[in-house]
Amino acid sequence: MKALVTRSIRQISLLVLLVSLLLSIVLPGCSPAARPAATDNKSAAATTFAVTAGIPRFKIATTTSLYDTGLWNYLEPMFEKKANVRLDIVYAGTGAALEYGKRGDVDAVVVHDPEAEAQFMADGYGINKRSFAFNHFLIAGPAADPAGIKGLTPDQAFKKIYEGGIADPTRVKFISRGDSSGTQAKEKLIWQAAGYTYTDVEKAGPWYVEAGKGMGPCLLMANEQQAYLLADISTFLAYKGKVTIVPLVEQGALFLNVYDVMAINPAKIKTAKMLPTANAFINWLMSDEVQNMLATYGVAEYGRSLFTPLKGGGCTEPGCPKLEDYTTPVK
Amino acid sequence: MQELWEGLVQAVQLIVRLDPEVVEISLRSLYVSAAAILIAALFCVPAGGMIHFHEFRGKKVLINVIQTFYSIPTVVVGLFVFLFISRAGPLGGLELLFTPGAIIIGQVILILPILTGMIISALNGVDKSIKDTALSMGASGSQAIWTIIGEARFAVVGALILGFGRAISEVGAAMMLGGNIRGYTRVLTTAISLETQRGDLVLSLALGIILISIAMVVSVIVNVLLQRY
Amino acid sequence: MPILRTVNLEQRAGSARLLKNINLEVERGEVFIIVGPTGAGKTTLLRLLDLLDAPYAGDIYFDGRKATGPDVNVMEVRRRMAMVFQKPVVFNTSVYDNIAYPLKVRGVANSIIRSRVGELLEICGLSGLGKRRAKTLSGGEAQRVALARAVITGPTILFLDEPTANLDPASVKTIEDLLAGFNRRDSLTVVMTTHDLQQVQRLAQRVGVLMQGELVQAGTPREIFHSPGDIRIAGFMGIKNILRGIITRQEGGMAVVEVKGRVIEAVSELPAGAPVDIYVRPEEIVLSLQELRGSARNTLAGTIISIGLEGPLGAVVLDCGFRLEALVTARSAVEMALQPGQAVYATIKATAVKVLPALENAA
Repeated sequence: MKALVTRSIRQISLLVLLVSLLLSIVLPGCSPAARPAATDNKSAAATTFAVTAGIPRFKIATTTSLYDTGLWNYLEPMFEKKANVRLDIVYAGTGAALEYGKRGDVDAVVVHDPEAEAQFMADGYGINKRSFAFNHFLIAGPAADPAGIKGLTPDQAFKKIYEGGIADPTRVKFISRGDSSGTQAKEKLIWQAAGYTYTDVEKAGPWYVEAGKGMGPCLLMANEQQAYLLADISTFLAYKGKVTIVPLVEQGALFLNVYDVMAINPAKIKTAKMLPTANAFINWLMSDEVQNMLATYGVAEYGRSLFTPLKGGGCTEPGCPKLEDYTTPVK
Repeated sequence: MQELWEGLVQAVQLIVRLDPEVVEISLRSLYVSAAAILIAALFCVPAGGMIHFHEFRGKKVLINVIQTFYSIPTVVVGLFVFLFISRAGPLGGLELLFTPGAIIIGQVILILPILTGMIISALNGVDKSIKDTALSMGASGSQAIWTIIGEARFAVVGALILGFGRAISEVGAAMMLGGNIRGYTRVLTTAISLETQRGDLVLSLALGIILISIAMVVSVIVNVLLQRY
Repeated sequence: MPILRTVNLEQRAGSARLLKNINLEVERGEVFIIVGPTGAGKTTLLRLLDLLDAPYAGDIYFDGRKATGPDVNVMEVRRRMAMVFQKPVVFNTSVYDNIAYPLKVRGVANSIIRSRVGELLEICGLSGLGKRRAKTLSGGEAQRVALARAVITGPTILFLDEPTANLDPASVKTIEDLLAGFNRRDSLTVVMTTHDLQQVQRLAQRVGVLMQGELVQAGTPREIFHSPGDIRIAGFMGIKNILRGIITRQEGGMAVVEVKGRVIEAVSELPAGAPVDIYVRPEEIVLSLQELRGSARNTLAGTIISIGLEGPLGAVVLDCGFRLEALVTARSAVEMALQPGQAVYATIKATAVKVLPALENAA
């Protein structure tokens, strides 16, 4: 009996080995598109890659607010043609996007959370940080505006929503992204400016809803529940036809939303091998080609552009990036 | 109701028009999940056979554990595999994350328990005397096992179809491991997730209908083929 | 040299001893039938002999070589054997594929398989059924498929576990004829179990009696039926008039046995004082209205309890202080005008009284 079990275990391990081999050799080889060559990796799988290598794949992680606007559908083929790479775009909240970067799973990140980005750079994960576009956040809500926030500053508006939500959670609701996105980071900043501790707001009552979803789904959710929410204007405009909630607060220094791009630092992440492509990507985002395109992206559909290119110095508010942050090419 | 109808109409249109992107996503879904089920079968059929045919201590416990993992959430599998194949993980050197191969690995792991478990039950359904007969007719141990698997072929194929269904319909692992990269790792479920997120419910519905149709067609074809044997 | 021999074979299930001390010899080319009551261990023994299970202790020798133990390639030995089970077991494939199975697992060429299967379909009366799904066959047909499948490789020995237990009489005859044929033509050694004693008389060259896990007797059918080794065997063989007694006197091979206060003389070497079981075949008892005088040593007076018919014979049950069953022809029953309550004499030769040492725990 014991011998039998030992034999079975041996057979099972043999099978596992076989299957693993199959996975590591057959799979990448028969994937529809070839993988980049990994010349310094001596594994059998890497050899297979080298044999089947075609156009290299360049992976970036981008925030959902950029992705949901459809902007990448335009940018992707442009860059692929220019740099002769396959641009693989993974979308996630800023927190998750930065995490992919830290793990070396992507070659560049495009995000919008100044504080988290600063930490990312300080920890050495990011390199060659540049800004390429900005727009604004806004507070949207039901046209009837039950909390009465229209025309207020962002912090005053949050205060009204808080008070209204406490008073009657059936009339005043607030949908929060509830994730680690740049929008969420911005929301926390505004709560702080309004004089609240964020952890208290989270527990303030049923009026405060943490969705845990991307920007688009949150917009749809706020629309369903006739709730207030903080949204970036580009996503809001992209969803305008699908929702009935309207922008109520659009002015305020706190609303500035700057999109930054960073390459993953090969000095820190040993597996990051695409720095030249990442640099080309960053410089390309700052190039006239992209900047001009950004100035018009969305105009035909929404009556105004979803993003404002930094080129030309249009950003003058406090918190806007310095000139060299969006003009100096990276190397 | 209106949306359901529109979804159906759009699904038919997308299929009839052979919309290139929809065709590409559908074929990828089919390819990824078919690869997953084949690899899983390569492992599960012998593994299920071995567990079924050998008596060993802890066999019941093992089967219980396998059955518990039937309901393992797809995102848990996704996370687990992610941690392994992410560049920072132990298998990072294979550069599998955000590739179709990553989705296949995730789906294989997802369906391993259910496929193994179902194959064990399929074999349990075979008369015990079949094994004795095979052995006394001169079959070797493994020939006898294959004979019994052959006797259970209807149930085994049923298990394979079930596994395929679970693979092609899951979204958690595909999203987490594939990253829903357009033209590379986007499959039907992640496309549905994205379109829902974008608020295009009708397109989502249409894609969902296409997914169900694929699963149905595969099941019908396999069953028709099986009837011949 | 016997083709199959077991030495002190023992099998257990947990602590229960299913088989003990089995020392069996099967000669090449014979039909050896194992009989015994349900639960005696017949199937267990066959499974050991076909090497499907490993024995708890003891050894099996097949064709002069040891077939048990760690160094034996069980499959190689088993490939010279075949077994047919009680319930016809067919694979869920065609009849052709079922019969071809043993050749396929041995890697035999397709052309040879085709001709061999064709032959056996013919022999077993299955012509034209080759393409049928085997599961759709009747029990008798399925058992013929199982038999054809078992003999297709030309095995040295064939084991059958009650192969006709679930079949109708016509199918039983077909299977028996096929078995006898394979045995004669191909000198196939057959070891089978049955609980049908008439089948034993039709087929067996030798018989082994298995009771409570022990091989209590082995011999020709004649030996077993006429000289059962002990009273248990006699009972199983359907022998009547079994009586418990004690030898009160021994005189040069002539023993006087006292049974319930009456005295019966018998031929036996057993010593005085020995408890014994005796039996008398009903056909060895002569009934008469007057006390007969002659060489017969035993004349017992009794009263008729009942008269029943057994074919052309009348079975008369007497009370002679113990129950005694006698057979008379229907004609003499009429001539003697036998009827219940009537006083008669039963005359038995001393040589007709079989004396066996008494078994403990047996009546």
